[in-house]
Amino acid sequence: MEQLDMLQAWAQGNVETVLFYIFAAGAIPMAIGVLLDKVIIRSGFMLIGVFGSICGLFLLLQAQFLALAQLMIYAVAITLLVVIALMLTNPRLDSELPTISKQQHTTGFFVAVFIFITVYLALRSESWNHSSHVVDPDNVKVIGLALTTTYSLPFEFSSVLLLAALIGAILLAKAEPEKSVEGNLTDASELAESKTPVGSGAPEK
Amino acid sequence: MAEQVEIKKQDIESTSIATAYAVVSAILVMLLQSGTIGKIFESMGLRGGYADIYMFIAIAVIGALAVSIVKSGVGNILAIAIVASFFALTLNQEPLVRYLTLGGVLFSIGMYGMVASRNAVRVLMSIELMLNAVNINLVAFARYVDPKDVRGQIFAIFILTVAAAEAAVGIAIVLAIYRNSSTVDMDKFNLLKW
Repeated sequence: MEQLDMLQAWAQGNVETVLFYIFAAGAIPMAIGVLLDKVIIRSGFMLIGVFGSICGLFLLLQAQFLALAQLMIYAVAITLLVVIALMLTNPRLDSELPTISKQQHTTGFFVAVFIFITVYLALRSESWNHSSHVVDPDNVKVIGLALTTTYSLPFEFSSVLLLAALIGAILLAKAEPEKSVEGNLTDASELAESKTPVGSGAPEK
Repeated sequence: MAEQVEIKKQDIESTSIATAYAVVSAILVMLLQSGTIGKIFESMGLRGGYADIYMFIAIAVIGALAVSIVKSGVGNILAIAIVASFFALTLNQEPLVRYLTLGGVLFSIGMYGMVASRNAVRVLMSIELMLNAVNINLVAFARYVDPKDVRGQIFAIFILTVAAAEAAVGIAIVLAIYRNSSTVDMDKFNLLKW
């Protein structure tokens, strides 16, 4: 009972640590679930959980703007895109494929463990120089000023990049008209033979 | 029917082994936190400062044993192993190192998924995971090293933009491949031309 009281007192003094470990213990198992769950649509929804936990971590780190942007862009938009892609590529949403490739399993495992150990040993031995400043509670203003003055060129470039990516994605994903008429052709030779000489066959670009 | 019973029995076995493993790792982490392990290692002539790394190795070895015993439910044991080693490695560290280690863990998980997953859409999900792990690092640096003008958060915003573009183009490519070859299996994408 005494120890429970001590634990409670410690937890009240270290709210940030406790919340950090709660979010971390939520994010890591869900990230593993994303990789290993046999039902792939469930792993798509688990991705929302991972991104939500990371949003909580951003709030702990006093990055309010990024936390909300994370929630809007990652947890809603990108996950929705991924789920739609799952539905389009696997219409019955069953688990035909094994989750992990047999040939790549060992390679992937050792690469991941090696990367983690290297990163951890590198950042553990370092003595980081902390700044004594506190983050400005109004740091959206700081970010906005920096984006429009110092970093205005990368900001403009990123808008051009988004436009190009949007057009490229539409061009890549656009259904070719000849396919929808002729049915599902998978063989290359069949496809080549079926092309009509002029006009109707060529995909429009 | 008999097969179903067999499967159920296996499930119960793997769950109990995973629970036992979780309890053992929790006890190890608590011992490490109370400082007992460090004293034991110092009395053995090893450096007490590296006690958390020895504990990480111990948890990994016990986890490997548990994985070799169970037939199903390897994911549970993997999750427990990673969470327990994360706790063991970071409880005695300063806050910045904790956040960076969490970023490293999520990055490694994403790297494993990117290399080993068979479904192409799952590979894209793993890449999103890796980008997010990098974002955690940048925001942690902005909070602890450069809190005055939070440059880490600005870089994180650019990463967010690039991630959105990457997701759209990547999914379009997966859809184009699926339309041509009727599969999303990474092991069967061995053609440069179809």
